[in-house]
Amino acid sequence: MNQTARILVVDDDPALAEMIGIVLRGEGFEPSFCADGALALDAFRSVDPDLVLLDLMLPGLDGIQVCEAIRSESGTPVIMLTAKGDTADVVRGLESGADDYVVKPFNPKELVARIRTRLRPASSSVTRIEVGDLVLDVAGHEVRRGDAIIGLTPLEFDLLLALAEKPEQVFTREMLLEQVWGYHYKADTRLVNVHVQRLRAKVELDPDNPRIVTTVRGVGYRAGGA
Amino acid sequence: MPWLSWRLALRRARRIWRRSLQLRTIALTVVLSSVAIGIIGGTMAMSIGGQLYETRRSQILAEAARAVLQGQSVLDEAATTVGEGPDGLNVLQNSLLPSIGSASTAQDIAILRAPDPETTTTLQDTTTSDFPQQLVSEDLREAVRTDTGQLSLQPVRLELQDGSTLEPAEGTVPGLIVGASLQVPTAGQYELYLVYDLGETQRTLDFLLQILFVGSIALIALIGGVVYVVTRTVVGPVREAARTSEKLAAGELEERLPERGEDVLSTLARSFNRMADSLQSQITQLADLSRVQQRFVSDVSHELRTPLTTIRLAGDVLYDQREDYPPATARTAELLKTQIERFELLLADLLEISRFDARAVELETEPTNLANLTEESIETVQPLADGVGSELRLVAPGGHMDVEVDGRRIRRILRNLLGNAIEHGEGRPIVVTVDSNQTAVAIAVRDYGIGMTSEQMGRVFDRFWRADPSRRRSIGGTGLGLAISLEDANLHDGRLDVWSEPGIGSCFRLTLPRDRRVPIRLSPVELPPAEVLDELLPVDQRDERMGGAGDARR
Repeated sequence: MNQTARILVVDDDPALAEMIGIVLRGEGFEPSFCADGALALDAFRSVDPDLVLLDLMLPGLDGIQVCEAIRSESGTPVIMLTAKGDTADVVRGLESGADDYVVKPFNPKELVARIRTRLRPASSSVTRIEVGDLVLDVAGHEVRRGDAIIGLTPLEFDLLLALAEKPEQVFTREMLLEQVWGYHYKADTRLVNVHVQRLRAKVELDPDNPRIVTTVRGVGYRAGGA
Repeated sequence: MPWLSWRLALRRARRIWRRSLQLRTIALTVVLSSVAIGIIGGTMAMSIGGQLYETRRSQILAEAARAVLQGQSVLDEAATTVGEGPDGLNVLQNSLLPSIGSASTAQDIAILRAPDPETTTTLQDTTTSDFPQQLVSEDLREAVRTDTGQLSLQPVRLELQDGSTLEPAEGTVPGLIVGASLQVPTAGQYELYLVYDLGETQRTLDFLLQILFVGSIALIALIGGVVYVVTRTVVGPVREAARTSEKLAAGELEERLPERGEDVLSTLARSFNRMADSLQSQITQLADLSRVQQRFVSDVSHELRTPLTTIRLAGDVLYDQREDYPPATARTAELLKTQIERFELLLADLLEISRFDARAVELETEPTNLANLTEESIETVQPLADGVGSELRLVAPGGHMDVEVDGRRIRRILRNLLGNAIEHGEGRPIVVTVDSNQTAVAIAVRDYGIGMTSEQMGRVFDRFWRADPSRRRSIGGTGLGLAISLEDANLHDGRLDVWSEPGIGSCFRLTLPRDRRVPIRLSPVELPPAEVLDELLPVDQRDERMGGAGDARR
């Protein structure tokens, strides 16, 4: 990934947006800004960013609605900036398609680490993996069932890839947090739960009776049948 | 077990008795009116019976007197017409009984010869066919013989005659024998006995008593019914008031009593409703105030976060470049950074406390191995312990099974307890014990540091309270840590206890239920803690501790 990745910052607080801009420029990113939820989607289309930093509380549309709008046309990584550590808001944000979230107040290193993890392409030693009736084209970032391409976000692809590379291994939520989200300390396991649900909704023929990503009760998840 | 069920029924009856004012009122009224009606009825029955008997008796006496007169006149007449001699007497004898019988309603008649008559001419004993001679007592005969010209009475019980009776169940009916003496010309003194049946009178009396009895029962039942209806109209509203107050107490503040009419009960209902109105408005007002206050705290915390984030980013940017600044400015950047962090922790804790106060917290439980979780927590604070030279020891005889807990909150509690132990542990070892029993899992953090007085111990969970304000803090902390830990423990239906002795150390014990539906019976870890691991103490502490341990167990 080149160092001039474009990042769209959607935040209505000008001081914070500017400060984030200073931090991002200092790290070699190229920030652009939008202060209104209602204008965010237009800004997203015109900037075509590599990643979106999205405040949860916005005038116009709120962050969750903006996230849903972005998700409806793109898998571009979205990181929520939330002033609320409240359970319901975080889960709603994740369910609307955000890849990750950062709780205010955050420090610059934490923010940059989260951004870098999401911009880093998943590396794999293989180019093609089969899991169940799905085929993962690692180089092309594509998943197919037969001839049909299943559209996954980069995060969902990384999650599926992590599981599919070692089908014999059961992954705990903590292992997935480290491998897919880049957390090296205890983080919010709801990230895993929500994204596994979103992934299943796309890849499973029957999401209520999953065959691709199966749950191992009390431990975590694994690829393929139990 | 019939004995048991009988006792159970008795207990239930007693409870109903105690609980139902209506039942007690009805029972009392019925019992008292039964006694009254019983006394009245008994008196009535006795006087009616006596009156009936008296009437019948005087009727019988009058009749008997007529019969005796008739008999005597027959005899006197016979003396002039029939003449003397056995034949004449026989004829007389045959006509005498029918003649007397026609003059009276007596059931049986007998004419008996008095013992040792002085005359030789005798009249045979003449009786009607069923005359119960054995019933005529010697006393009666004696009375008849001595009181000539008088009527003598004897009450008897008569054998019933076959088929002629209405009361087959009883073998006898009351009767009366009337005796009188007759003078038979030439044959001397004879005794006339007339047997009267009182069965008819008895039947009348029985019938009257029956009517009286049935009437009394009906009256008592009626009184019971009336009392039931009356008490219902009184007890009903009272009961409703009780039900309504229960609902009010349970928080259904909209509940009111119906107000009908102008009587005492409706006055009760009205004043009750006024009380409820006033309660409701005050509670609503308080709840609003509390909501506003909590909302305010929460809003302030949230509003502070955005500028704080900007400040933090700015502070970190400056801090990262501090080497380029003159020393005073560089130090300023360092102070700025550390104080922003402290401010941040404080804000986070404030926000957490405001969530607890607003009851806006939820447990997110998952099966967790508390022994492993404790080990992890110890690892995360290991650098801090190394910094002050405290050794962290884990003793985990139990707690290796999965328990449904909110791992984030338990970790936060442990971080707090361990941080406190390290801060106040004077560099001595810290022992963490994890154990479990049937109902609970406990984690105890024991330090051998400065300890606390009992007064300090009582305040240790207070918000913003610090054991020793002058003491230099190496780790920091907001003063809300233990308050939040206590809330977290309570949220799990668990307990957070403390034991401490000045100069000996402190022990904080977290006890969590294995199953939240089953209450904790006993914590698996003792408090005050069992003195373990003597070798953990510095040599110069051991003797001192021996004395102290005794104190602690006093």
